[in-house]
Amino acid sequence: MSAPALSLRGLHKSFGATSILRDVSLDIPAGTRHAIIGPNGAGKSTLFHLITGRLRLDRGSVWLAGDDITGQSPHAIFRRGLARSFQVTSLFPRLSVFENLRIAGMRAAGCGHAFWRRIDGFRDLTARIEEMLALLDLGPRRDVAAGALAYAEQRALEIGLALVGGAHTILLDEPTAGMSRAETERAVALLRRLSAGRTLVMIEHDLSVVFDLADAITVLADGGVVASGPPEAVRGDARVRAAYLGAAAEVLT
Amino acid sequence: MQEILLILLNGLVYGLLLFMLSSGLTLIVGMMGVLNFAHASFYMLGAYFAYTVSVGIGFWPALVIAPLLVGVLGVAVERYGLRAVHHHGKLAELLFTVGLAFVIGEVVPLVWGRTAVPYRVPAALDVPAFALGGIQYQAYRLFMMAVSVAIFAGLYAALARTRLGLVIRAALTHPEMVAMLGHNVPRVFTLVFGAGCALAGLAGVIGGNVFTTTPGMAESLGPIVFAVVIMGGLGSIPGALIASLVIGFIQTASVTLDAPLGTVLGRIGLPLDPHGALGQLTIAHAAPAVPYLLLVLMLALNPRGLMGARAD
Amino acid sequence: MPGETQLPASVSVRPARWSGRGAILSWGIAIVIALIAPHLMASGFGLSLLCRMAIAIVFALSFNMLLGQGGMLDFGHAVFFGLGGFATMHLLKLVDAGLVLPVVILPLAGALGGGLAALPAGWLATRREGTSFAMITLGIAELAVALVVMIPQWFGGEEGVSGDRSGGVALFGFDFGSALQIYYVLAAWAVIAAALMWGVTRTPLGRLGNAVRDNPLRVDFLGYDPARIRFLTFLLAGIFAGVAGGMQALNDEIMTVSNIGSAASGAVLLMTYIGGVGTFSGPVIGAVLVTLLQVALGTVTDAWQLYSGLIFIVMVLWAPGGISGIVQSHAPILRAGRGARLLGPYLALAPAMLLTLAGTVGLAELAYRLQAVRGGAKAGRLFGLTVTPTDPWQWLIPLALFILGAVLVHRLAPPARAAWQDAAAQTARGGA
Repeated sequence: MSAPALSLRGLHKSFGATSILRDVSLDIPAGTRHAIIGPNGAGKSTLFHLITGRLRLDRGSVWLAGDDITGQSPHAIFRRGLARSFQVTSLFPRLSVFENLRIAGMRAAGCGHAFWRRIDGFRDLTARIEEMLALLDLGPRRDVAAGALAYAEQRALEIGLALVGGAHTILLDEPTAGMSRAETERAVALLRRLSAGRTLVMIEHDLSVVFDLADAITVLADGGVVASGPPEAVRGDARVRAAYLGAAAEVLT
Repeated sequence: MQEILLILLNGLVYGLLLFMLSSGLTLIVGMMGVLNFAHASFYMLGAYFAYTVSVGIGFWPALVIAPLLVGVLGVAVERYGLRAVHHHGKLAELLFTVGLAFVIGEVVPLVWGRTAVPYRVPAALDVPAFALGGIQYQAYRLFMMAVSVAIFAGLYAALARTRLGLVIRAALTHPEMVAMLGHNVPRVFTLVFGAGCALAGLAGVIGGNVFTTTPGMAESLGPIVFAVVIMGGLGSIPGALIASLVIGFIQTASVTLDAPLGTVLGRIGLPLDPHGALGQLTIAHAAPAVPYLLLVLMLALNPRGLMGARAD
Repeated sequence: MPGETQLPASVSVRPARWSGRGAILSWGIAIVIALIAPHLMASGFGLSLLCRMAIAIVFALSFNMLLGQGGMLDFGHAVFFGLGGFATMHLLKLVDAGLVLPVVILPLAGALGGGLAALPAGWLATRREGTSFAMITLGIAELAVALVVMIPQWFGGEEGVSGDRSGGVALFGFDFGSALQIYYVLAAWAVIAAALMWGVTRTPLGRLGNAVRDNPLRVDFLGYDPARIRFLTFLLAGIFAGVAGGMQALNDEIMTVSNIGSAASGAVLLMTYIGGVGTFSGPVIGAVLVTLLQVALGTVTDAWQLYSGLIFIVMVLWAPGGISGIVQSHAPILRAGRGARLLGPYLALAPAMLLTLAGTVGLAELAYRLQAVRGGAKAGRLFGLTVTPTDPWQWLIPLALFILGAVLVHRLAPPARAAWQDAAAQTARGGA
């Protein structure tokens, strides 16, 4: 059996005296779609920051496709095939939509920091971006500055930046936050399509999205894993209902 | 022995003056995140205003009037300049203050001439206060020290005890939070900026006559003040005090101890050709570079400074 | 915070996406101008002005690689300019002493000097961004000046280092002693350096530089080390600043401490910003215009420095895109034929701005005349009138003009701005 795409082993993180994550361990098999849910303040975004090198771990280790990536810088981790999106939209506001996607796709297309090669010369990259523009429905907006896009368009581009680079494992932090019903449905279709053959880990509040997409669900509450497993099992788990679902339980039944 | 005493006394005066200048900038930087490039220009204005006022009605009124004038100017600059560029970001704010420093640097010689003005220490204090080891120590320098120490104590107490001080201290570390709690942060900013400028003006009033009041005084002192503020840690008043004194002593000492660099390095085990280009350098030559070396290393290696609350 | 990605309306966004034909046309025009300019301004004065422009263009473009393209404010950019110049000067002295080397290629020594200086400076400075970066460069600049003063053996102390560009072996009968010959050498270097810098904006590093300017954190999560991108950009900018310094060394045949100092760094910031940091051509416009005004106004008034500082502040406050930004924000409106609607509000605003300008100039010039009178001069002439700056009543006229103008601008600017925003929004909608 091949190594899990992502393996978290005993992660701990505190800020000062406040413990944010306690002994979080999780294996995510390659090629699956995994959702992480939990109430606000459960430590979901912190978990993403720890995995991607944004924050340093206090204890524990992170393994990507069988390699220990603990303590590595974000760019080094990205180069090993892990891409992510942000809960707070994080784009290049003064660059066009096309350029945003190009920056995101450059590493995968083999662009280094070259200052002697024309960027337009990377034809595969250009083709790939055009394809992504079409998938994101941003074709007509390709030359508009990202900072001038509407909110939903910015969210779509945010997802696009994570997906265009060809990473084998993708972490999405609330991809559908702030989207309308129709926009969410489009995003789900897009994610379903683009995650084929890749590993997708997402933090998501919209439970319909979660149960629609995820092969497995992990429930995080108060800094620890409450339950983890296939949707049906998590749906029926009494501890989950107690710890998290409460009022939202009717969505599940 | 006498030499060391002189270094200590002069270093203390210079260091305390630096503190007076940098305390205002520390407040501004810590709170607003604006490295006011024109801070030393307000110091210069303070000295020139004081000169003009003291020629008219004497030094003691100038001690009050000149800082107030500079403070009012600072308020106007914040209200009608900085606030307008605020939404363009930090770089725009910095550029605005650069332009301001440039314009003040042109206007001052225009009004007061290109050469130094005869701004003098008041006669009443231009007497030796005490003699120590053969050195006559001027009373005015004691007065300078007293004012500096009073400012340190006053600032410290105001920040620790008053309600406004509480808001300012909170805004030093958590500006967004303070805004969310409903405090009028722009108004506090204006106030702090004005107060910081007034402090710089006060430093000009009491420093301009001991050192010289020339159109070049801002340009020569400005980068040193940045060095102090950054070394002390952006936003820390005690940090600024320590950094001011350290730089004050180092600069005074290196000017006074005029030994060739080759000799000094040889003594600590670094042989250097005494007749080569570097060997003939004296410490006095190298002295002006010291604060900048500290500034660069501090920023590159430990941006939080000595006691900084905010990293950037 | 969605506000973070909001864009000030006045900052240009479109990267230079010229079609191949448009770019070739622009470069062709620039080269033709460079070729025929000396024949339109054949006087010695005109030629020396053109030489200074060529140098300033390269220097400003290298500065904008950092400020405009990479979001890095370098307070010590003249360090690389100056050290490049000193390197060139030393090589020129070797050539004078008999080293066989064509003088034409000497700015390459400048590139080397600037690049070598940028290595340690960049290593220190580019670990940080934003204000910290700017402060480190300020410290480095002061350090460099202190070092240059400290080591007269290498940098010539107060007198500087001088040489003779015609002292070497003549190449094909050209010894570059004459002003016209040196102009063509400098113009060629300017075109080559500018073309290379333009090329860099269209490479992976150039794009990454833009990305790091906008959002370094995200770049880190896309597989690139932002500090490394800043470092490489810094290095290139240092090299090109060194080329400009080498050009300066050839032109002036002397380099002094002042070429390294804060005044020189301030000057390049001024011209780049006034020209506009948002476009590639902005610094070129700024370099040409500021050099021209400096020389033209320098002969008429002492207040040039003050005026350039005031223009800078006005730009920072109201036109952060500089001149090229103003052009860029109006070009699509004009192309779409919506310019007529701006005409009214703009025409109303223009006299108010002129009044303010006249008042400002009047006050500044009176002040300079007052200084001259104090210095012993009899009376000043201003705009063909005899003025007595010691008479307070004469100050009232420019003061009144200034106040009236300022009040009118305050009234008339908002409608003009609104009209522009309207037209820009309509154009964007119509064009999409």
